[in-house]
Amino acid sequence: MKTLNSSNRLTTKLGDLVLYLLPLVALLLVWYFLTEDKPQAQFIFSSPSQVLVAFMRLLNDGELLTNSGVTIFEALVGFLMGTICGVIIGLLLWCSETIAKIAKPYITALGTIPIFALAPIIIVWFGIGIWSKIMLAFISTIAVAIVQSYQGAMSVEQRFLRLMQVVGASRQQVFRMVVIPSSLIWVINAAKLNIGLALLGAFIGEFISSEQGLGYMIVRASGLYDMATVIVGIVMLVFIALLLTSLVELIEKRILKWKYVRS
Amino acid sequence: MSNLSLQNQTLLSISDLRFSYGFRESENLVIKSLSLTVGAGEIVSILGASGCGKSTLLNLVAGLLSPKSGAIEFKARTTISDNKPGKNPIGYIFQDDALFPWRSVRSNLMLVADLAKEVSVGSAQEKTRRYLKAFHLDEGILSKYPSQLSGGMRQRVSIIQTLMFDPDLLLLDEPFSSLDFFTKLSLEHELYQLIKDQNKAAILITHDIDEAIAVSDRVLIMAKGGDISQEFKIDFGQEARSPEDVRGTAQFAEYYHAVWSHLRTVIQEREV
Repeated sequence: MKTLNSSNRLTTKLGDLVLYLLPLVALLLVWYFLTEDKPQAQFIFSSPSQVLVAFMRLLNDGELLTNSGVTIFEALVGFLMGTICGVIIGLLLWCSETIAKIAKPYITALGTIPIFALAPIIIVWFGIGIWSKIMLAFISTIAVAIVQSYQGAMSVEQRFLRLMQVVGASRQQVFRMVVIPSSLIWVINAAKLNIGLALLGAFIGEFISSEQGLGYMIVRASGLYDMATVIVGIVMLVFIALLLTSLVELIEKRILKWKYVRS
Repeated sequence: MSNLSLQNQTLLSISDLRFSYGFRESENLVIKSLSLTVGAGEIVSILGASGCGKSTLLNLVAGLLSPKSGAIEFKARTTISDNKPGKNPIGYIFQDDALFPWRSVRSNLMLVADLAKEVSVGSAQEKTRRYLKAFHLDEGILSKYPSQLSGGMRQRVSIIQTLMFDPDLLLLDEPFSSLDFFTKLSLEHELYQLIKDQNKAAILITHDIDEAIAVSDRVLIMAKGGDISQEFKIDFGQEARSPEDVRGTAQFAEYYHAVWSHLRTVIQEREV
């Protein structure tokens, strides 16, 4: 019976995988038939075989891994700094309604500034090195983390606060035992959103001015009309985003274990 | 016997309580003037239409709201003013349980040890075991999360969580209303037994006349403005009785009729 269940589960998982891959395979086939042996189309759209060749070349000469490593590092450090600082600020705003009220328009303003507009200033301040990209990733992520964690802190269910008040818990105990754990769902959601934003921040920094990273690789290749390398860079960015999101989901399953238990 | 003698000790005394929401007292006056005493070992039920001030009264006693005037005294001291974890003589059980979903049942029950320094983990664990037995719960549930429990089990755990703080007075705000009939009956019985055995006291807010008569020593009818319009002393003539047993008696039917007649008058007056 158990074997039957596990084999059923395996079949379902395989079925899901086929369903997930179906649109991608269809897209690749359409792309292949529209571009293969058509030099003009290949100049504009490249082709699956050209992209594969470019991928192998970039992998062999180490350019892809080096540039990916730089982008991952910039995005990850910016993501961690922005998310951690944002979460701390957001949760602490729960402690003072007045400060939260004053801070609200500033946080909203920070969240609405397009990161592209800030990039030149940040590059002037921090140079064209790695720090300007980290700072752009940091700025891209901090506002979301503040807003989400503050929302989480303010959305604590009344019944929990009421219980803590009746049993005579101090404000510090309420914060530690109720507000923080109750906000973790919001914090994890902020982290998920921030993965993409951190990558975007780092990428924009590299796009505007840099000497390494996937953004730099894409800008340089597009200047040379090397569409295959551009596409490899984009695919790599997507892959990194998916990888980092999976990492956050893995952490989520550990931290929010209670959410995943079977009823 | 001892319970009866202790029952005369006044545990909670409320006098001339007045409360309104907001600044303008005249507009949102919920409780005009309410006086009430509850003795040790006594269970007092309050029946009344929605919005008459029943839950407000419990919130005032629990210290969640502050009265405009009047006094709420608990064993000769004003309640909640020196409220510290493990020292509060009041326990509040709500309609919906307040179990933290991110904590296991064990961790939820050990909340008292996390909050009050003077409560040792060992004594809290011992108490947990005792209460689990009293409420017919298996120790296996300790490692589970609240989401893995049935509604009845959750409410039982929630009651134990409150009892872990060792309150003398329990405020029960429709604690059985979301439970099925059989779970409600057994939980009523268990809680009744515990209150009587440990000589605690309780104020029960309910919409269920049947429940109020079965578990209470007194049933109060609350009218609009928080007025206690009628008080029924419930006495089945037995020292120890079970809420289940009394339900089938002729006396129960008489009480039911009396309470219902008065409650109907209150509702009709309210409609007029």
